[in-house]
Amino acid sequence: MESNDLEEEEFGFSRNYFLAKELCSSSKKSARKVSDINLVDEQELREAYAKLEFKHEKEINNLVNSYRKSYAEWVFMLRCGFGLLMYGFGSKKGLIEDFASTALTDYSVVVINGYLQSINLKQVTVTLAELLMEQLKPQRKLENHPKNQQPFHTQSMDDLISFLDGPHLDDGESFVCVVVNNIDGPALRDSESQQYLARLAACSHILMVASTDHVNAPLLWNKKMVHTEFNWYWYHVPTYVPYKVEGIFFPPILAHSGSAQTVKTASIVLQSLTPNAQNVFKVVADHQLANPDGEGKWLRMPLNNLYTVCRECFLVSSQITLNAHLTEFKDHELVKTRRNSDGEDCLYIPLTSDALQKLIHEISQ
Amino acid sequence: MAPSADPETSPSISTTNTDLQPFFLLHKASSRKPSSKTRRRIDLSPKASDASAQEYNDNSRFETFKLLWSNTEFIIKDVLKNLNTTVFDGIDKWVHASFDAIHACRTPDFTTATSMYPIPNNVPIGAQIFTALLFTKNVESVDDISTFDDLGAHLRSSGCLVANLTSIDFSAKNGVGGCLKTLLRQFLLAGIDAPEMSILASWYNEQENYDKPLIVIIDDVERCSSSVLNDFILMLSACLYLSVCEFNLGTPAERMDAVIEAVLLRSFQSVNIGKHVSTFLRNYFLRHDGTLTLFVKALRIATAQQGLDGENNLLREPAMKRALELPSLQRFCETRGNCIDWVSALSELKRLHQLWSSLVMCLYEVGRYHKISLLDLYCEMLKLKLQNFGANDLNLVEKDYTTSVHDNQSPGCLQDKGYVVRAFQMLRDLSAMELCKILDRWEMLTRGIEEIHEKVKELQSQITLEVKQSRHDLRKESKRPAARTYKNDKTNNSTINEKVASFLQSMFREYIQSIESIPLQEIIFFDNVDNLNTALIGDPRRRIQADLLESRKLLKCSCCSKNDGVLVPSMHDTSIMYTLVQEHGDLINVHEWFHSFMAVISNPPLKAKKKLRMSPSPKKRKDSKEARTKTDASIQAVTELQITGLLRMPTKRRPDYVQRVAFGL
Repeated sequence: MESNDLEEEEFGFSRNYFLAKELCSSSKKSARKVSDINLVDEQELREAYAKLEFKHEKEINNLVNSYRKSYAEWVFMLRCGFGLLMYGFGSKKGLIEDFASTALTDYSVVVINGYLQSINLKQVTVTLAELLMEQLKPQRKLENHPKNQQPFHTQSMDDLISFLDGPHLDDGESFVCVVVNNIDGPALRDSESQQYLARLAACSHILMVASTDHVNAPLLWNKKMVHTEFNWYWYHVPTYVPYKVEGIFFPPILAHSGSAQTVKTASIVLQSLTPNAQNVFKVVADHQLANPDGEGKWLRMPLNNLYTVCRECFLVSSQITLNAHLTEFKDHELVKTRRNSDGEDCLYIPLTSDALQKLIHEISQ
Repeated sequence: MAPSADPETSPSISTTNTDLQPFFLLHKASSRKPSSKTRRRIDLSPKASDASAQEYNDNSRFETFKLLWSNTEFIIKDVLKNLNTTVFDGIDKWVHASFDAIHACRTPDFTTATSMYPIPNNVPIGAQIFTALLFTKNVESVDDISTFDDLGAHLRSSGCLVANLTSIDFSAKNGVGGCLKTLLRQFLLAGIDAPEMSILASWYNEQENYDKPLIVIIDDVERCSSSVLNDFILMLSACLYLSVCEFNLGTPAERMDAVIEAVLLRSFQSVNIGKHVSTFLRNYFLRHDGTLTLFVKALRIATAQQGLDGENNLLREPAMKRALELPSLQRFCETRGNCIDWVSALSELKRLHQLWSSLVMCLYEVGRYHKISLLDLYCEMLKLKLQNFGANDLNLVEKDYTTSVHDNQSPGCLQDKGYVVRAFQMLRDLSAMELCKILDRWEMLTRGIEEIHEKVKELQSQITLEVKQSRHDLRKESKRPAARTYKNDKTNNSTINEKVASFLQSMFREYIQSIESIPLQEIIFFDNVDNLNTALIGDPRRRIQADLLESRKLLKCSCCSKNDGVLVPSMHDTSIMYTLVQEHGDLINVHEWFHSFMAVISNPPLKAKKKLRMSPSPKKRKDSKEARTKTDASIQAVTELQITGLLRMPTKRRPDYVQRVAFGL
């Protein structure tokens, strides 16, 4: 009976888990290191991705094209009040955007790229409200709604949502469609964003199509969101299309996680600081480059020395100003302090000399 | 984006400019104003006539869905509202009583506009916030969203001013200001930037609002931030004393039964589910979800899928043709001399469904005494086979069953033949009084169904007479020894019970056909459990892993499918990587993993698995370039696994290992 199947299944799961654990503890842990592999710079890697040829291009195309015959069904489900949730392995960005641009031509479509690092949902909502307003305009000439005289971008999220949800004088088919690529992406992973998306999806004038890639994506939502707000209709649409854009913001596992990345971020931070602050940093860097010690490390610069040097160069006028700069450096981990054997606070920059030279070169430009 | 081999056919949109924008407008609604009849246009079919036919089909499907679903939804809402009416009336009474109590102790000379209701000295009632706790008997709050909306509407209709707040309004982030804002928004019907209690107070003192009780409904109070809730209560009144009154709502199982009765049994114009789907939903309700919301959503999906199949829209020609091939209709026609008569088939369908439903309800009336839920009974009735209703069979089943009836059955396990038989058993054990009550109920339930109703009435009068007779005998024999009387009474009763039971049995035998033999049952009973399951629940965890491990099945390529189960270089990179993961424990050494991958993609299939190559030391320039490409491929594959969440990346503590997240499908 099915109950047995279920137990079997649960048993199978736990068995697999413990087997895996056992395998790990019984066999000797391999001591091989990632750094033994011939590593490459992230920059180079990114360039290489773009040129990489992908296997099964033809089959992937056939697979993606085979979903086209379901477009009519998807539209039907959208009209029935469901939100479409596409899952399965492979980037679904191309697929759902193609769906939106061929089958959803009657509605305005806004695409949200959830794989990016941050998204302002308020702005999105304002755009949606403006689009809906535009769509409703012909019908609401006679209607005089005092609330809508206020421009949308000054309204609160609640007002915007109630506008999108509100009953309007129309035939009930004025919709704005929201396409969310990676609704489980980094920008949308927090519960507040998901709450807003759910409230948007529940609006009577909004249709939602979303894609999800993470196996644990359903954990983002509670039952209220899943069944009443998003009202998901799941579609399994594996595409095997490489996650090109979606992967951009993941730090690659086999790249040099060190220098290239840190030099880049450090130079961005430094460039945003005042010229004086940059010069103070240069003083520390020069000291470090000029005094390499035998073991590939450097003599650290005592704090008092730094103050003296900086004062001489007219970079700072008091200890307080210097401390302000140093706090800024420490906050961004550009500089670290350690106490030396004499009990003095010493400064150093946690970078290799190559990286440091590169950094100095970049900020001097 | 799909790599486009053929720009004509492949979905290739140039989105490169927009890839890095947080959001963008893909296109605006087409300028063509969609008319109410023909608003769907999908340019997938080449011919214009095809397109318009498609459009017509889509619209008629949608109309079918709309009709069916609005009907079903209306029924469900109505049922749930009616279930709660008594509780709501109780709350209403309590509100007005409390409000009168506040009024009665109000001092006449109040002028303070800043307090909600004046707090007279030494009068405890004025210092209370009257609070009702409404217990939902439900772990999930999702079922009660509509309950609280309904309660708000109910109280508004009886002249209260109501604000519905939820736990989101009581978040620590927005603090007490956030909930005050929502409160003012709901009472004053306008957004206020600087919420203050005095605004509410002065609004309340206005002529039209004064003398009305002010109700704040807080939904899902367990999830509110306790400090914010505390502040909120402090703000409502200077004192902390809450005068609490308790009310209870029905359990999810009760609601479920009410919905099943109204939607699946009493209504003919709503979706119906077959045995597989009903069992699936029952098990999911009992084991996993426990909410009515999921059940309602499932009904909605069923309605939509049925609309999509189009078989229930018999007006359309292709659907009609398909319907002609339905086995149930063919069987029906065979019995009627092979002429296809739609009208009679449909009316037969309706008749049999009504008979079936009313008999299920009759049985449920009995089952209630044994706390058998309608959900269980309904699922079992759908599964029953016709032959089980032969008198001998039923008895046999009962014998088998009585031995196991008191076994501790786990609640989630649907036992074969259990509930129906148990209900029959119950019928034999009822007292005369209960039996009369049940017959009264049956009489009501079968109204409008001529075949049964008359017989029920006949039986009712017969039984009433016999019960009277036996009481009369009882009085006569009251002087005889007690044991004898008892025995006599019992025999009397059991003959009456036996009569009723055999009546119901004969009704079953006569009128209940197994669902499969009802003509056109395929149309009204939605039973595609796989479709429903994937649409309703999805299963990303299992499916995404299966996509990776069985990529060759989905891609249908000629190169990889020959070597079933063996890793070949031509396979999808991420697929190879993930298959290799399966060979490791919960921690995977990145170095080894990487080299196994390299070995797979550089070697012919047979040697691939075992040979681990050490760090490549390229001798030729060409080799190094090739190795680089492979490295890139593997890194891309790891990134993809990271996106799917199947791996946990190295941490500072274990920089050389990734961790597996999923074990087994």
